[in-house]
Amino acid sequence: MGWRLTLRPYLLIVPALLLTCGILYPFGLGLYYTLFDFSASKPQPDMVRFENYRAVFTQEAFWNSAWVTVLYAVGAALTETVLGVAVALLLHRSSLLGRVLEKILILPLMIAPVIAAIIWKLMLQPSVGVVNHLLRPFGLGGVQWTDTPTGALLSSIAVDVWVYTPFVAILALAGLRSLPTSPFEAAAVDGAGWWYTFRRLTLPMLWPYVLVAVIFRFMDSLKVFDIIYALTEGGPGDSTVVLQIRAYLEAIRFQRYSFGISYTIVLWAVVYLAAMVLVKHLGKIQRKAAEVTT
Amino acid sequence: MIRLSGIRKAYGKTVALDELELEVREGEFFCLLGPSGAGKTTTLKTVAGLEQPDSGTVVLDGEDMRGVEPYDRGVAMCFESYALYPHRSAYDNLASPLRSPRHRLPAAEARQRIGAIAELLGISGLLDRPVGQLSNGQRQRVALGRVLVRPARAFLLDEPLSHLDAKLRQQMRAELKAIGAVQHTTTLYVTHDSVEALALGDRIGVIRQGRIVQTGTREEIWYEPYDTEVARAFGRPRINLLPGVVTESGVRADGGVELPVRAQAAPGTEVLVGLRPRDIALHADEGHGLTGAVYVTEVLGRSVEVTVRLGTGEQRVSLVAPRADAARLRPDDPVRLVVRPENLLLFEADRPERPGRRIETQS
Amino acid sequence: MRKRLVGWLCDTALILYFVFALFPIAWMVILSLKPADQLFSTYFSFSPTLDGYRTVLGDSEGIPFVRFFVNSLVVSVGAVVLSLVVGLPAAYASAGWRFKGSENLMFTLLSFRFAPELTVIIPLFVLYQKLGLFDTYVGMVWVLQLVTLPLIVWIMRSYFADLTPELEQAALLDGYTRKQAFFKVALPLVKPGIAAVSLLAFIFAWNNFVFPLILTSNEAQTVTVGALSFLGGDRPKYNLTAAAALVSVVPPLLLALTIQRYLVRGLSFGAVKS
Repeated sequence: MGWRLTLRPYLLIVPALLLTCGILYPFGLGLYYTLFDFSASKPQPDMVRFENYRAVFTQEAFWNSAWVTVLYAVGAALTETVLGVAVALLLHRSSLLGRVLEKILILPLMIAPVIAAIIWKLMLQPSVGVVNHLLRPFGLGGVQWTDTPTGALLSSIAVDVWVYTPFVAILALAGLRSLPTSPFEAAAVDGAGWWYTFRRLTLPMLWPYVLVAVIFRFMDSLKVFDIIYALTEGGPGDSTVVLQIRAYLEAIRFQRYSFGISYTIVLWAVVYLAAMVLVKHLGKIQRKAAEVTT
Repeated sequence: MIRLSGIRKAYGKTVALDELELEVREGEFFCLLGPSGAGKTTTLKTVAGLEQPDSGTVVLDGEDMRGVEPYDRGVAMCFESYALYPHRSAYDNLASPLRSPRHRLPAAEARQRIGAIAELLGISGLLDRPVGQLSNGQRQRVALGRVLVRPARAFLLDEPLSHLDAKLRQQMRAELKAIGAVQHTTTLYVTHDSVEALALGDRIGVIRQGRIVQTGTREEIWYEPYDTEVARAFGRPRINLLPGVVTESGVRADGGVELPVRAQAAPGTEVLVGLRPRDIALHADEGHGLTGAVYVTEVLGRSVEVTVRLGTGEQRVSLVAPRADAARLRPDDPVRLVVRPENLLLFEADRPERPGRRIETQS
Repeated sequence: MRKRLVGWLCDTALILYFVFALFPIAWMVILSLKPADQLFSTYFSFSPTLDGYRTVLGDSEGIPFVRFFVNSLVVSVGAVVLSLVVGLPAAYASAGWRFKGSENLMFTLLSFRFAPELTVIIPLFVLYQKLGLFDTYVGMVWVLQLVTLPLIVWIMRSYFADLTPELEQAALLDGYTRKQAFFKVALPLVKPGIAAVSLLAFIFAWNNFVFPLILTSNEAQTVTVGALSFLGGDRPKYNLTAAAALVSVVPPLLLALTIQRYLVRGLSFGAVKS
C-alpha cells in the first residue's frame, strides 16, 4: 500500500517518458551519425569520429551561416521587442481604438510563418509586387527587395517582425495589465513625469514579461527555417543561408546526412547555451522586479 | 480515540512535526492551539491520511492507520481554505460525500439529510447557488455542512472560523458546540485564537514548532501554564511578566515590591512574575502594593485597560479595572496597585533558546 | 491641448502598425479574388471572381490541395489527441512534485521546444524510410509530438499547479478514490485550460512546415507545404497561391480568435499568466 502511494506520481508520467524517448531516440541516433561519414552515396558508412565537426568549423560557409544567423536573430528579436512593447504601451492607453484593435492583434501570429513568407514574397516581387507599386509615387519603385544580399536579409527579418511582433505585444500587454496600480498612483501624486514613470516604474516591472518574450523570440529566430526557405531559399548567393537552411541543404539536398546533422548539433548547443544564460538572467530580473513592486 | 505517537514529518529541511504526541479522547472536543507554521494543519492532515508521516504512528479507534487511504479512515475534515468545489452548487458540495462510493445514500434520503443540515446551519436558501457567489460566512457554513452531513469517526476542523468577521465568528462559535453531531463526535479543532480554544475546547493542546508543549483543560492551561509563552498566548490583555529575583522570604519584583510567594527555586534565581491583568486592582489600601504613573488608558466597554509605568523605570503593567474606578485617570496620574497573590505565577527568566518554564509556588 | 496632440499621435502610430499588420492579409484577399488576366495589369480595381478558389479546391493544377487540407486536419488532431492522452497524466503528476531535479526534468522537456527541428528530422528521415513511416500519418503524428507534447505538458502543469491540492484532498475525505478525485474535481476545473491548450497545440501543429516538408512527399503532405507548391512552375500563379494561402490560414485564425483569453499563458509556456 505504502509503495503504491509513493510510486503513483511516477507511474503517471511513464507514457510521457516513453513518448519522449521516442523523440530522444532519433536525436541520439543523429548524434551517433555525426561520428560517421553517412550519406546517400555511402550507405555503409565508416567511423570518422569528430571529422564532421572539424569540417564544420573549418568550413568558411559555416562561419558565414553563423554570422547571418546571429544577424537575423538579433535583428528580429530586437525589432520585435521594441515594436511589440511600443504597440503594447499604445494599446494599454485603452482608447476605444485600442480595444477594437487588440482583438485582431494576434492575426499575423496565427498565420503559419511559411504562409506569411509566401504572402510577403508575392508583395515584395520587384516588378509586379504591390509594395513597389505603393512606393512608386515616392520615387522608390524599383527596390530589389529579395534580390540583393542586404535586401534579402532585411526582408526576411521584416517577415519575422510581421509575424512575431504580436507575440511580444501580447505578453507585454498582459504584463502591463498585471502591474500594481499603487506605485503609479504614488508617482502621479508626487508629480512624476511620463518619462520618469516609464523608466523608473513601468519598465523595471514590465521587464520580466518582456524578457520572457525576448528569450522565446531570440532562441526561436536562431533556428529560423520556414521564413527563409519560402522567401529567399538562402539566396541570393549565400547571403541568407542561416544554419538550419545550411543543414537542410547539406543533409537533404546533397544527402550528406552526417555532415548536415553536425550543423544542427552545433546550432542546438548554441541555442541551449543561450537559453541557459537567458533563463538564469530571467530569474535575476524577476527578483529585481519583485523588489521594485514591494 | 485519536492517538498520534512519535510523529515526525519534514518537508526538505523544514521540520513540520517533531516527535509529536497527541491523544484525543472518545467524544471530546479537543482544541489544538498554536501560531501559524506550528504544524497544526500538518497534524490534521496526518490524522486524515493526506500526509504520510516520516515516522510515528496514527491510531484511530485502536486501529493502526499505516497505509490506510484517506477515504477508508472515516474522518471528515473542514479545510481552512474550505476546499469547496468551485464548479458546483452549494447543494452539490453538500451532496458530494453522500454520492461517493463509501457514504452513498439513496437520492431521496440524501436530499432529506442535506435539507436537515442546511436547516441547522441556516443555509437552506443558498443551496442552488454556485459556491462562487457565496460570502465567506456562507462558504464556511457549506464547508462545515459537508463535514456534518455524513457519519464520521471524527471531525477534523482546520480554523473553520478564521476567515469570518468578528461578529460572525462569535456567533458561529456559540452555535458550533450546540450542534448535536459535534456534541457526540470526537472533534479535533485547530485554531490560532486562544479565545476560541478556551471557549470551545474540552481540552486544549498547545503546539509549537511541531511539538505539543502542553495539554490540559482550560483551567489547567490558565492556572498552570507550562511556560511564559503559553501564559502569553492566553488572555487579553496579555499577562504581565515582571522581572524579579527569588529572595529568602519570597520574590522581589522590579519596582521593589516583595511578594510573599514561596518559589521552589534557590534564592538569587532570576525569575519572571506573571500577573494577569484581572488580578491587579487599583487604589486599594491594603495588600502588596506597587506604585506608578498612568501611561495610557483604553476603554473596553464596561471596563478599562490601564497601562501603568512602574516606579521610575521602563517596566509597564496592564490591568483591567471597572470603568467607574478608572474613568478619571489621566496620563501621568500617580496610582497605587494591588495584586491578588493567590493567582500569581512564577517562571524562569526567558532565555534565547527557550521561553522560561513555570516554577511551582506555595503561597 | 498638448494632451490631445499626444493622444492623436499615439492613435496614428497605432493605426500605422495595424496597417502594416493587416495590409498583407487584405492584399491576399484581393489577390485571391483577381481573375488571372488582371493579375498584373491592375492593383486595386478589378472584377472579383472565385475562380482562384475553384481551381485550388478543384485540384485542377495537379496539386491535390483538398487532400493536403484533410491531411493537415488528421495529422494535427491526431498529434493533439496523443499528446493529451499522454501529457495530461504527466502534467498532473508533475504539478505536485516536490523532489529535487523535477524542475530540471521539466526544463529538459521544454528544451525540445528550442531544439533545432532538423537535429531530429534528418535522422528521422533516414529512420522513417527504413521503418516505412515516411509520408504516413503515423510518422507525422509521432514527430509532431515534438511540437504538441511540451506545450501541453507545460501549460497543463501550470494549470494543475494552480489548483489547491486541498480540493482533491477534500474529495478523498468525502469518500472518493484518487482516480475519482482526479476525474470529478481536478479535471473539470482545468477544462478551460485543456480546451485552450488543445486548440493552441492544434494551431502549432497545423502551422508546422519543416516536418511535412522533409518527412512527407505526397500522401501525408499538409497545407503548409502544399501552399508553397503553387509558387513553383514556370508561370507565377499569384491568385492561386493567395487563395491557397488564405484557405490554409482559415482554421488557425478562427481557432485563435476563440481562445484569445487563454493565449498569453499558452504562448509563453505558462511563464506568463493573465
